[in-house]
Amino acid sequence: MSSEYPSFFTSEEMSLVQIYIPSETAHSTISELAELGVVQIKDLNPSVSSFQRPFTPRLRRLAEAARRLRLFEGQIKSLSPPLGIPPLSAIPPFPTVGPRAQNAYDELEERLKEHEKKLSDINRSFEELSKRRGELEEKSSVLKETAGFFNEAEHRHTEIRTSFDDGDGTQPLLEHAAEYGTLPGDSGLSGFDLEFVSGTIERTRMPTFERILWRILRGNLYMNYAEIEEPFVDATSGKETVKDVFIIFAHGAELLGKIRKVSESMGATLYTIDSSQDKRADALREVSTRLEDTDQVLNNINQTRRVELSKIAENLEAWKDAIRREEEVYKTMNLLSYDQGRKTLVAEAWCPTRDLTNIQLGLRRAMETAGTSVPAILSELRTHQTPPTYFQTNKVTEPFQAMMDAYGIPTYQEISAGTIAVVTFPFLYGLMFSDTFHGFLVLLTGAALIFYEKKLSQKKLDEMLGMLFFGRYNLLLMGIFSMYAGFMYNDFASKSVTIWQSGWEWPEDANGTVAAESTGKVYPFGLDPAWNGAVNSLQFTNSLKMKLAIVIGVLHMTFGICLQVPNHIRFKQRISIYVEFIPQILFLWSIFGYLIVLIIAKWATDWSKSATGPPGLLNLLIGIFLSPGTVDPATQMYPGQAFVQVTLLLIAVACVPVHLLGKPYFLYREHQRVVGQGYRGLTGQENGHPTSDVDEDEEDGVGQAVADEGHEEHPWDFADIMVHQVIHTIEFCLGCISNTASYLRLWALSLAHSQLSDVLWTMTIEKAFLFEGGIVVQSVFIFFMFAMWLALTVFILCCMEGLGSFLHAVRLHWVEFNSKFAMCTGIAFQPLSFAFEDDDADA
Amino acid sequence: MEALAFNVSNGFLEGIVRGYKGALLNQSNYHNLTQCENLEDFRLQLSSTDYGNFLANEPLPLSTATIADKATEKLVSEFNFIRTNATEPLATFMDYITYAYMIDNVVLLTLGTLHERDTHELLDRCHPLGVFDTMPALCVATNVEELYHSVLVETPLAPYFKDCLSAQDLDDLNIEIIRNSLYKAYLEDFHKFCQTLPAPTSEVMSRILAFEADRRTLNITINSFGTELSKDQRARLFPTIGRLYPEGNNALARAEDIESVVAAVDHISEYRAFFDKSGAASNQNGGAANGTGDEGSSLEDEFFKHDVELNKHSFLQQFQFGVFYSFVKLKEQEVRNLTWIAECIAQDAKDRINDYIA
Repeated sequence: MSSEYPSFFTSEEMSLVQIYIPSETAHSTISELAELGVVQIKDLNPSVSSFQRPFTPRLRRLAEAARRLRLFEGQIKSLSPPLGIPPLSAIPPFPTVGPRAQNAYDELEERLKEHEKKLSDINRSFEELSKRRGELEEKSSVLKETAGFFNEAEHRHTEIRTSFDDGDGTQPLLEHAAEYGTLPGDSGLSGFDLEFVSGTIERTRMPTFERILWRILRGNLYMNYAEIEEPFVDATSGKETVKDVFIIFAHGAELLGKIRKVSESMGATLYTIDSSQDKRADALREVSTRLEDTDQVLNNINQTRRVELSKIAENLEAWKDAIRREEEVYKTMNLLSYDQGRKTLVAEAWCPTRDLTNIQLGLRRAMETAGTSVPAILSELRTHQTPPTYFQTNKVTEPFQAMMDAYGIPTYQEISAGTIAVVTFPFLYGLMFSDTFHGFLVLLTGAALIFYEKKLSQKKLDEMLGMLFFGRYNLLLMGIFSMYAGFMYNDFASKSVTIWQSGWEWPEDANGTVAAESTGKVYPFGLDPAWNGAVNSLQFTNSLKMKLAIVIGVLHMTFGICLQVPNHIRFKQRISIYVEFIPQILFLWSIFGYLIVLIIAKWATDWSKSATGPPGLLNLLIGIFLSPGTVDPATQMYPGQAFVQVTLLLIAVACVPVHLLGKPYFLYREHQRVVGQGYRGLTGQENGHPTSDVDEDEEDGVGQAVADEGHEEHPWDFADIMVHQVIHTIEFCLGCISNTASYLRLWALSLAHSQLSDVLWTMTIEKAFLFEGGIVVQSVFIFFMFAMWLALTVFILCCMEGLGSFLHAVRLHWVEFNSKFAMCTGIAFQPLSFAFEDDDADA
Repeated sequence: MEALAFNVSNGFLEGIVRGYKGALLNQSNYHNLTQCENLEDFRLQLSSTDYGNFLANEPLPLSTATIADKATEKLVSEFNFIRTNATEPLATFMDYITYAYMIDNVVLLTLGTLHERDTHELLDRCHPLGVFDTMPALCVATNVEELYHSVLVETPLAPYFKDCLSAQDLDDLNIEIIRNSLYKAYLEDFHKFCQTLPAPTSEVMSRILAFEADRRTLNITINSFGTELSKDQRARLFPTIGRLYPEGNNALARAEDIESVVAAVDHISEYRAFFDKSGAASNQNGGAANGTGDEGSSLEDEFFKHDVELNKHSFLQQFQFGVFYSFVKLKEQEVRNLTWIAECIAQDAKDRINDYIA
């Protein structure tokens, strides 16, 4: 049953296995399976909500540990100067499996807890101190700034007085403050003096603050403020805030109370200062000494914190990895069904059939690491459930398979275009990107990426480069095929290359329009270089490329239709070969197949010697439909052409009803046969789809467990089948025409590419070559023009055009090719593994 | 015609808001939540919903307050996202939604100051949607006039205040009156604004606002029984919109007991149903004559249910602003539900855990 070789064109054969795991080896078994990465464990308790599952408490503890690690990481990263976290490869691994692993995890948890406690203690005192420091700083700036106000007030008291007198006669006069010089701050010792409130507030709140105060005190205040230049940094969050110092003079205890209340609720901090200059100076001195002390202590704390964090940083990556592995293992264990007796766990899993022995070995290894003598038992189940689709890929086929999977995950064991695309994809790409020089650049890029493969695969690449690296073999092949097509179209950065002697000769005396004369030789490969520069060269290459596109397109589609056959055989729908595959092939070939035969015939005929003129193939094709049976005698290609064309048209028309009705008819007959034999669905629903062969298989599996849940029974519905077939027929018949036209993009892009490179050549470097103005100037001119030409070649012709051709090649595969055979109803295989996505660290 | 141009300026936001609505918890989510044994389970359950790991970085043990805060934070950030992206007239519409929260905050702060609570604690308890710049200054106001002149005059609430200036002192009753007259003015203004908007919006919103107004009218009436609020004063607090206006309001203005309230709303079958249901509920709880408190609470639940129902209906119609209003209300209700369930789990009061409204 199991083959030793990887299946190239279809997905891996899968088996459903049941694994009985003794609870003591459960942990090591699961982690062993995850290391193998070829098992997809099924959820056996879908009805149990996540928190009722047996290992959820353990998971919760792990989540807590993970939270602590995130906390540490955040703090380590916000340290300045930054502290390096050694990468995973540089530190001793954490024992994640084995008999001591459990203990190690418990210890780790304890250790993390301790670290967190220590850190939070340090952080708390750090925070407290920095808060105090911030306050001191604020106070010192308040002292400094208010000194300015007081000084100003002393100098300009008369002015201020006038302005106050204007406003309100009852205002106390500021000059008193200056005269007496001993105004108490806000202690309110003397009712006579002008009192003030001073403090700091966030700059953004300043206007609101001012407005509110103005309104509440009805203008009975004198307010002054100054900006503090340095921003204050919050110790824990690292946020910067800019603050203003303000000082408000007002009169009366009630007003001052109000001011204080408002300031507090606006988030301002108030500082008591003295109005006398000496005392202020004293206070400033005191504050600065205290500030120094605090700074010192803060510095010490910072050192301790750094040491503590660096201790954590040493092992952080190992711990993170271990915790993630452990979480994965327990998440998986939650999927298993846990026996009541708490002795064994039962897992059901999908795995590739040919990896079964590997898994058996892995289970034994797990038993050994766990240090017990009871192995986990693996038994294979027979099932009707559809297995997931899994393709064994290597680094060459991987990007191609990924590209085809993006269209849809192929049905289990269906033919997939992944491996085929390794050739067809670069080929179609090459036809569009047809330029030897540009193809060579692409080839170099691919080759460079492959050459530095080992180095690059260890680095974390950014998105662009990562994508290129992923498709490096793709690039290489695309380059090779582009060069091939470039040789064929004889295009080397819009110039021709003459390797052999041209088959045409230009006359010596060149005046006016001249015609080249054939030398009787034929250029051995590709386009004759003499075409380059000829007036009718575009006409010629267009006709050539267009026809080539149609020929290749029809062949490609035919290949796609042919890929149905192995599918039909594998899925035991032989009838489909007769009523789907054959009509489709006949339909395509009696119209477009005939067209390409005519194309080749037209190429092969020497029309200068022929009795009739060359036919317009497009008009001929249209004529087949619009006026069947008539051929213009002037352009007739062969005798009996009209008869052949009518016959082909009739065949094509006849294929439509066969395709439309054939399959439904046979399905209906099959159904009638089953019903006639007296079989009926037990639930009252009729069950007539041909699964009888599979059912018989089941019986010889006596003694083997059969997992049969999920085997859905579809009621037989003729209308459904009919509608489906009608859609399928319409899609195919119309598709043939539009898809063939779609392949014309092979010509269109190639044309665009060659024209663009031609324009680029004439606009830049050719101008420099033809420039006449002394050798020095011309050299400089050429130098710059060459740089420009090369840059534009790389960016526009290679990157942009390359991307365009790539997209069109993808489209041709997805729409034109895959639609001919692919069913794509599969489910992707998601094996259990420890390979984590890098970005979940950000979450 | 409105549908033609609606998407030009509001299509994106409507899509966003419908996406948000789709992310609201459904019955099975709630069912799972009620099964939780403790708040950690609760967090685990929520992590599989749209809330994601909004609690993932909170140290254990979790508190109900944290959950409510974080959930509200999510609501606010979603609201702000829409508000910032909104163009006129949606922007004004969204602003109107915040006015209701402003009123609540104003009343909360004034009441708190009256009872001499700590200002910062009060500020923390304010709903973040209703925060405005000058709000902290509310705590210095000692009478109505000061309140108005110093703080509210530059807020959008100022025009609503003109009816309240008659009251002089700030005491519990007066604050309650201020709250209700502010609300009345707000509802009427919002209603008027909605009527200036093109058809589907005005229809949907007038349905919702009418119910809101009626609910307030009924609440005011029922709560005023046995207080010193005179009937005249009471009648002045009734919003002049809603399905009860005018004859129902007149009847309610004269009502003296719960029977006359029931009689006043008799002609509107939905409202009658509330009283029937809540009456039945209180009967089960031990007799109808058990006082109004019990009845009031279950009546409140009925109101909430109907409110949720109306808001859900507004999502059935496209090309209108009602969805924005409804989303905020539904999300708010969801936060209330979460808090309730979390509270029940925390206090081990499992028997009432199912009293959430979904």
